[in-house]
Amino acid sequence: MIGPVPHEYAIGGVYLPPMLVAAVLGLIAVLVTVRLLNRFRWSRYFAYPPLVFVSLIVIYTLVAGTFIIGT
Amino acid sequence: MILSRKAKEAIKTALAMTIAYGIALSMDWDRPYWAGFAVAFVSQATVGLSVNRAALRMLGTVLAAIVALSLIAGFAQDRWLFILFMLPFVCFCCYMMGGPKYQYFWQVSGFVVIIVCFDSGPDPVNAFDTAVLRVQETGLGILVYSLVALFIWPVHSRSQFETVARDLAATQHQLFAAYRSLMSGEEGKAKEALQIRAQQAQQQARFGQLLNAAISDSYEVRELQQPWRQYQGSVQKLATVMERWHDSFAEIRTMDLTRLLPGLPAYLDEIDNRLEQIGLMLAGEAPQRRPGPVELTIDNKVAGILSHFDRAAIAVLYRRMQALEEITRVAFGALSGIRGYGQAPPIAESARPRPRFLPDPDRLACVARFLIIVLAAYLAFIYVEGWPGGPGFVGMAGALGMALVNAPQLPISKIYAPVTVSALSAGVLYIFVMPQLATFLGLGALIFAVTFVICYSFAEPQQMLGRAFGLALFVVIASISNDQTYNFLSLATTVMMFAVMIPMLALTVYFPISWRPERVFLRQLGRFFRSCDFLISIVDRPGGGSISRRDRWRKAFHLQEVATLPNKLGTWAPRIDPAALAGATPEDVRNLVAGLGELSLRMQAMVEASEPVKSEALVQALEGDMRSWSASVQGAFQHLSDNPAAATAITFRSRLTEIMDGLEQRIEDVLDRSSENQMGPVGAETFYSLLGAYRGVSEALVSYAGLTERINWDAWREERF
Repeated sequence: MIGPVPHEYAIGGVYLPPMLVAAVLGLIAVLVTVRLLNRFRWSRYFAYPPLVFVSLIVIYTLVAGTFIIGT
Repeated sequence: MILSRKAKEAIKTALAMTIAYGIALSMDWDRPYWAGFAVAFVSQATVGLSVNRAALRMLGTVLAAIVALSLIAGFAQDRWLFILFMLPFVCFCCYMMGGPKYQYFWQVSGFVVIIVCFDSGPDPVNAFDTAVLRVQETGLGILVYSLVALFIWPVHSRSQFETVARDLAATQHQLFAAYRSLMSGEEGKAKEALQIRAQQAQQQARFGQLLNAAISDSYEVRELQQPWRQYQGSVQKLATVMERWHDSFAEIRTMDLTRLLPGLPAYLDEIDNRLEQIGLMLAGEAPQRRPGPVELTIDNKVAGILSHFDRAAIAVLYRRMQALEEITRVAFGALSGIRGYGQAPPIAESARPRPRFLPDPDRLACVARFLIIVLAAYLAFIYVEGWPGGPGFVGMAGALGMALVNAPQLPISKIYAPVTVSALSAGVLYIFVMPQLATFLGLGALIFAVTFVICYSFAEPQQMLGRAFGLALFVVIASISNDQTYNFLSLATTVMMFAVMIPMLALTVYFPISWRPERVFLRQLGRFFRSCDFLISIVDRPGGGSISRRDRWRKAFHLQEVATLPNKLGTWAPRIDPAALAGATPEDVRNLVAGLGELSLRMQAMVEASEPVKSEALVQALEGDMRSWSASVQGAFQHLSDNPAAATAITFRSRLTEIMDGLEQRIEDVLDRSSENQMGPVGAETFYSLLGAYRGVSEALVSYAGLTERINWDAWREERF
């Protein structure tokens, strides 16, 4: 059985690699998430927020790559 | 119609940009926008400032071209070896860029290496042409701008330099008057003195810049370069000496100074008069009187009834006032030599300490951040197919990354608006206006108009970022060349490149370390107290035995940290998010930084005072007591480096007062046994200086603890992204 095939995105005629789009979406989602975490003071529960930041980018990028780009 | 200064400067830059493009296009040079870049980035307020910047840009470009060609010649076949050898040079440039000298040279060298390497790397056959093209177009832009600045409404630096020199002298005179009032107990002047001091620091920096500029564009100043440098040195020293003098006031508040120092009013009048005469000479008038002799002595009879700590405080004050007398005399002499009212004093050949490399952790952190930006751009370019901008992305990331780490306090959000507005405006011009133009007449008019509007709209120094981005994006998006093509895709690719690059730059604010101002502030605060802790441990070495080479190096490093960190904290403090202050006001943070500055001066004075007196008999007799004091202060510093909230004024005050009282009693006992006269006058003075320094550190520590109580450190230390 063939899984979902990642496809290129074209913005104004510029074809963008799926990984790039997923990474950008992941980054935007992380920026929103950390803003909310700071806003509600939940970030104090993390031992080292910079590492959490990068981990969230990886998670969000994979999620975006699997469910948005890959469909 | 009289044009404003702003309009004239905008016209000059716009004209230089148009001519530079015109020449580059008529010579059929590829990438004429490099000449445009050079014009855009060397234009400054005066001819001298522009010439200095132009020289640094040119030299930086030449060095970068040589390095880039060597890298391409050696490692063009292996991308990993290529980046492995390129990065150390670029990182070195990035580190040097944060230093005190030739910052712009190092900045240009660093990012031009990346640009030339990544422009020529994919096409090594034409690498030499690309590097030479970059050099010649930079030279063209610089030459054109310099000629335009020289011939059209030239603004020489001399008049501005003279104005700043006058302002600085007036500010120092005001500061002296404010400190004089503070010494006589007028506490209301403290706030005013703080403001004057900040003004003095700004004027000192401006004075240095304009002196360099005036040396470049004014024969009168260049001829007297050495005396002006001597005057600059004496003005800097005067600022330091006044700070140290002011620093001694806390311990003498309760003393009757007119009885202790009978010549004090005459002394203060004399210094005041010297500063006034300096101001007169800078205004072009002859001095009304020359520095006279100063009779300032301590009345030993009155001093004899004081406690030893009070005698120490008076000895320290006296020493600092002597230094103030000496430096005002030197400054007066240097200036009267420049103005032709007398012979300048001979320049003292001071024994220069051997220069040694002392790393700056903040500059190293900036290098690490820059390294991450460049590496991330490089890896993205290699591993993600179709990455917008291709190799140009790495070059642009390098240039922007360097600008970003050069001003790490600046929030990245500040560049969102200039980039968006510039990209949109340049896009509209590129799509709708440029295709209508057929000759250079039209194109030249467009270049002139756009450059004028950008330079006129972003003329203030605090708008430099907007101006730089506006001009850079116009030049990049328009991509003017002889074989002009119009393609929406190239515009979209450029916009996409920035759309990807800016979040990438934003990411480095969070990873691997947080660059939020409050986190940086806390890190620097911790380092400050760790350095104080180390310095106390060095001063406290038993018997004053010689210290190893490694420890000498560490001592120099920590002294540098203690001396520089309060200023660094001062640059970060205004950037702290008010929400993170959790109840404290920006004023509290400013006072905290001022308190650290005081502690820094006292720590330096203590290290200085401890050096010559370790062999004194009295010091040896009191070694145990002094060590107990050191242990207590060291403990306090250790607590503070772990947790700034550990300071409570009451605890510190009671602990330190107890030790100091014990020390006072011990001094009485020891002196009763040995007689003070056995120390000799020099020994007594140095001993009291050391004692005064110890007391100074104690007082500054207690005062700092009082300031920290107003800040909710727990909220501040809370982990945040």
